[in-house]
Amino acid sequence: MNLRAVGATLVVNILSFCREKTAMFFTLAFPIILILVFGSIFKDQDALHYTLHVQDLDSTELSAQLIKNLEQTGRITVATVDAAGDASQYAKDHKLNLVLVIPKNYERSLEERMGSDDLAAFSTLTYIYDPSSTSVDSKMQLLSAVFAEINQRMSGTPTFIRTEATSILAKKYRFIEFFIPGTIAMAVMTASLFGTVNLNTELRQKGVIRKLATTPITRSEWILSNILYQFILAILSTIAMLAVSYAVFDVSLQLNAWLPVILVFEVFTFAGIGMILTRFVKEAQSAAAAANAIMFPMMFLSGSFFPIEMMPGFLQTFARLLPLYYMNEALRSAMVFVDHGATLGYTAVIAGVAAGVFIVGIRVTRWEENA
Amino acid sequence: MTNPAEHAITVDRLTKRYGSLVAVNDVSFTVSKGEVFSFLGPNGAGKTTTVEIIETIRKPTSGTVSVLGMDVTKNKFAIVPRIGVLPQAFNSFDRLTVRETLQYYSRLFSCRNPDIDGLIALVNLKDKTRDYYKNLSGGLRQRLGIAIALVNNPEIVFLDEPTTGLDPRARREVWEVLQGLKQQGKTVFLTTHYMEEAELLADTVAIISKGRLIAMGSPSALIESNAKYLALTLQIADDTVFGALSEMGYEPTRDHPNTLKVRVKDANDVQTILRALKDKGTPLLDLDVRKPNLEEVFLKLTGEAHPESHAVEGRAT
Repeated sequence: MNLRAVGATLVVNILSFCREKTAMFFTLAFPIILILVFGSIFKDQDALHYTLHVQDLDSTELSAQLIKNLEQTGRITVATVDAAGDASQYAKDHKLNLVLVIPKNYERSLEERMGSDDLAAFSTLTYIYDPSSTSVDSKMQLLSAVFAEINQRMSGTPTFIRTEATSILAKKYRFIEFFIPGTIAMAVMTASLFGTVNLNTELRQKGVIRKLATTPITRSEWILSNILYQFILAILSTIAMLAVSYAVFDVSLQLNAWLPVILVFEVFTFAGIGMILTRFVKEAQSAAAAANAIMFPMMFLSGSFFPIEMMPGFLQTFARLLPLYYMNEALRSAMVFVDHGATLGYTAVIAGVAAGVFIVGIRVTRWEENA
Repeated sequence: MTNPAEHAITVDRLTKRYGSLVAVNDVSFTVSKGEVFSFLGPNGAGKTTTVEIIETIRKPTSGTVSVLGMDVTKNKFAIVPRIGVLPQAFNSFDRLTVRETLQYYSRLFSCRNPDIDGLIALVNLKDKTRDYYKNLSGGLRQRLGIAIALVNNPEIVFLDEPTTGLDPRARREVWEVLQGLKQQGKTVFLTTHYMEEAELLADTVAIISKGRLIAMGSPSALIESNAKYLALTLQIADDTVFGALSEMGYEPTRDHPNTLKVRVKDANDVQTILRALKDKGTPLLDLDVRKPNLEEVFLKLTGEAHPESHAVEGRAT
């Protein structure tokens, strides 16, 4: 093994990468943007706080008290809608997904119930909402919970069934902390797969591989230098993603020795798949299309962005056949749940897949033209 | 008969098949140490396949090839450090500078104290050392490719169509570099389909056509043995000359409306033709008499039009 040739090729790859702005963007900046965008969305979901537009048609002391109660939840800020206007039109004009309407005679109905014990007296509050909005359900659930609490208090009897939530995790984690390991696995997969496919097909098409075949560097040395290069990119990309995650979202993730181990196996797996692809798909564009065909289903079905439990049963079974699923689970076990037993199990699966795919990749990779 | 020890390359009954296609068919030749050997042939004749087998990139179907006394199929890693290769349609890493590229290849060959500056000077790239490969013109790229082929100070240099696609000026610049290699005593295996290039640079020329070696020798010997005639070119004022020459038993061809070419045996034939035309009162605007060149030998042997006029830059087999 000529380590000088391996090192020289590694330096060439890193220099070329540093001078290729597009590659740098998609390898380093794109996953960070993904984390910033999705992190911001999930951050809001973790601590739902929103502005509720309320049209108070009663305009009484008790309706004002109801609005005050909503604000006291700490999760709602109330904005007033003119009582003279049309609430539906207002929602459309202002592109709102929810407006709460307190009806006229709210106070009178409440006094009838409380003062006269008239059980037939009630008041109907109206949700004017946009059913196509994905976030409106959680807002309405929050309001319903507040109103249920008020109803309970008015009944004057203590709650019988009470609930208490106990997390299976040692501490409470936010969704962003589940999301980041998936993004790391996805980014490393993309960089390793596309890095291998692009590098090999481009250099082969240009004839550089043919030139290298007339030098002392061997196929194994070339492959080793490329694996090292992909691993360095994976480490750099992961460090960048974690740095942004800690700085912007103050995440709480366990960083331990499992992380580089899992990344090594992931790089071997996807570089191996890339090598197999470039053996059978000759043109650079076709190879990129084939890589996309492998990457996209894996990205969306392996639980990188959402738990696979949200998918139908057959898709969950399929997901468990995909290597990226085990990488997501291994990283989450190591970084989020800190479950070393589970991490070992998932990592063993990845190691097996990595060894198999990589051996096939090496065997099918052509260096000299033997045909 | 030369001593086998003086042979840089020995090709013996080399055949290469791709399925039913026979790309190289029972080819044998030797290349002596220190000579410039030019391998000529039309596109698809089997030039690149042959040279890539010699360079250890491809495996022969049958026959033996030895480089510096070593079998190419068994001694790749002993042969490779002693040869330098400029492949056909050479390319390199887009975002490496000229200097970085040469440094990279010198490391692949584990060169101790590589003379990168000397190589840069040799191929006249001093002003371009910091330029990325992707920003170099075609001629500069080829010169860099030649420098890479020399980075390990090889005993044999293989140059596969080093001037294809270059403009005349860039081609002459590459020729100057190749003449420098010849003066250094390197064995140069030059694959080309430019006859002028082979005639100018080569000590020995081998012509391959349809996978078979059809002629081999020095350019002058090939011309001498295959083209025993003179080429007479006549600039004519009217068309009666064509008929007059035909009546005299010659076979004139028309290059342009006012230009006729005719092959004659010797100077006496030229005198006969000129006298006959004068007797007929046929005016001549100009004439040119010269010995045939390698291109005409090539055309005669391969039976093809000049390949340069329809040179294809794709990869030959």
